Amino acid sequence: MLEKGLVALLGGPREPMFHTCDRCDNQASFHLTEIRGGEKSERHLCEECAKVLQVPQANKELQNLLKSFDPSEVSQQGQSKTAKVCPDCGMTYAEFRQNGRFGCAKDYEVFGKEVIALLDRIHGSSLYSGKTPDGKLVIKADVMDEASEFRAQLAEAIEKEDYEAAARIRDQINQIGGRAPDDAPASPTEGE
Amino acid sequence: MSGSGDQSSLFPSDSGSGDSLQLPELWLQEPGPESDVVISSRMRLARNLDDFHFKSRFQEGECERLEVHLSQVLHELEPDFRYHRMHELSPTERKVMFERHLISREHAADELPRGVSFSHDGTTSIMVNEEDHLRLQVFASGLDLERLDEVINDLDHRIGSQVNYSFDPRFGYRTSCPTNTGTGLRVSVMLHLPTLSFRVDGRTGRGSEQDIVRMQNAAQQLGLTVRGIFGESSRADGEFYQISNQVTLGRTPAETVKGVQSLVEHVSSWERRNRDSHFNENRRRVEDHIWRAWAALTHARRMTSGEALSHLSALRFGVCLGILDEDEIDLAAIQSLMVAMRPGHLQYTADTELTADRRDELRADLIRGALQNN
Ligand SMILES: [Zn+2]
Ligand SMILES: [Zn+2]
Repeated sequence: MLEKGLVALLGGPREPMFHTCDRCDNQASFHLTEIRGGEKSERHLCEECAKVLQVPQANKELQNLLKSFDPSEVSQQGQSKTAKVCPDCGMTYAEFRQNGRFGCAKDYEVFGKEVIALLDRIHGSSLYSGKTPDGKLVIKADVMDEASEFRAQLAEAIEKEDYEAAARIRDQINQIGGRAPDDAPASPTEGE
Repeated sequence: MSGSGDQSSLFPSDSGSGDSLQLPELWLQEPGPESDVVISSRMRLARNLDDFHFKSRFQEGECERLEVHLSQVLHELEPDFRYHRMHELSPTERKVMFERHLISREHAADELPRGVSFSHDGTTSIMVNEEDHLRLQVFASGLDLERLDEVINDLDHRIGSQVNYSFDPRFGYRTSCPTNTGTGLRVSVMLHLPTLSFRVDGRTGRGSEQDIVRMQNAAQQLGLTVRGIFGESSRADGEFYQISNQVTLGRTPAETVKGVQSLVEHVSSWERRNRDSHFNENRRRVEDHIWRAWAALTHARRMTSGEALSHLSALRFGVCLGILDEDEIDLAAIQSLMVAMRPGHLQYTADTELTADRRDELRADLIRGALQNN
C-alpha cells in the first residue's frame, strides 16, 4: 500500500497524523489550532464538515493562523508587541496579522519573534535551507536555534563576499548538532 | 502561431503586431515522460528586490518604477521573450493567458501596473508585480522535475545577477507572504487518476474515498499536499489531481523536488496497478464508460466544461488502456482539447462576448469537429 511504501521511503515510522473529524467519523484533513485567552484548543475536521462550518481555506486559513497568534503569548516581557511599527513601510503587527502579507523585507526583523514563531508553525521550521543567491554556498537548516548568532556572522561574511569565512561559520553551525525532526506539518494554507 | 501538430487549428491564431497578444505554442500538446499518469510539471520561484517595498506597501509611483525597471532587466536578459503589460490587454486576452498558465488568476484581475514575460514555446513565464516582485515559472509536459529544476535555477541566477534579491541567511528569500518564505519554491505535478475517482464514483462505496484521504495524509507528513483540480473539495472534476509542496523553510529545493517526485512515483505506480486490476475485473463496465464518453463528445450539441472535462478524462483513460485506437485519437489531441475548450479560449476565438449557453454550443462544435476530423 501507499503508506507502507512511504514509510520505507521515509526510513522509519513517524507520529501518525490521523485524526478523525470532530463532527463525524471521517478522516480529518483540517487541523486547526486556536488560542483564545491563553487557552489552546485543537480542532480536526474533514473536508465536508469544514465546508459546512465554513472553515476558511487558502489565505483565510493563514489568517486564522495569524489571528491565533496573540503577540502577548509570544513575548512575555513588558510592553505589548502589537505596538510595533516598521519604521520603513509603516506596517503594524496588527495589520500584518489582518492581511497576512508583509509590507517590506524589514518587517521580518521588526516583528522578529512573532515571525519566527509563525514560520515555525507554517513550515515546521524557521531556518532556511538552500543556496545563497550567487550559488556559492549551501546553507542547511538542520541546526538548533542557538545557532542564530552564527547565522548573523554568516550573513555578515556573505555580505562581505568572504566565502572562506562563510564556509567556516557554516561548518561551525552544522557542528552544533542536528535539529529534532519537525513534528508539525504545514497546515493547508496557500493555494498557488 | 503555428503549433507543430494537427491541433494548431483548434487554437486562435494571433494577428500579431504591436501590443496585441501573441500566444505561445501549446507545450502541453506533446505528451511527456510518464504521460499515462502525469499530465504536467511546474516549478515556480517567488523573488523580491531589496530596494523596493513589497506589494502591499508600495509608495506612490513605486509600483510603476519597479515594473519599468524589471521589464527592462528581463528584456535585456531574454530579448526573445515577449513582454506584455497587463493593462494593455483585454480581459479576454488575460483570461486566455491564465488558461495557458502564463499568469495567475490574480494577475489577470489585478489593477496595479504589472506584466508578464514569456518564451515562445510557453514553457517559461515571469510575472512582474504579482504577489511578489517576481514570480518565475517553468512548465513541462509529463513528469520532468529534474530538468525543470535546472532551467529555473539558471533563470534565477541570471536574474539574480542583475538585481538585488531580498535574501537573508536565516530566513532565505524574503517573500510577501510567510507561506513562501525561504526557498520561495513551489513544485507541482498534475496527475490523471481515473481509477481513484472511478472508485469514488460510488460503484465500490466509501472505501475508495479513504484512498484519497490516505494519500492526503501521507502527503501532509512529507510537507506536501494533494488536491483535486478543476473541481471542489477532494473530488476532482475529470479526475485530475495536483501534488505540490507546502513547506519552503528547513528543506533545500533539491529535498523538496525529491519529496514531490517520490510521492508522484508512489501514486503513479498505485494508479497503474489499480488500472490493470480494475480493467481486468470490470472490463465491460470500463469499456462502457469510455465509449459513452466518446459517443457524447462526438454527438452532443451542447456541453459544459465540467462535462467535457470528465468525458475527455474518460477518453484519456481509454487511450492509456488501449481501448481507443491511438490512430483515431491520441493524448496530444485530448490535451489540446482540454485547453482549447476552456471559456477564455472559446471567447477569444469567437472574438465576441458569449453567453454561457452559446459557449456550451461552441464547445460541443469544437470537440465534435476535432474528433471527427481525426
Ligand atoms: Zn466530518
Ligand atoms: Zn516594513
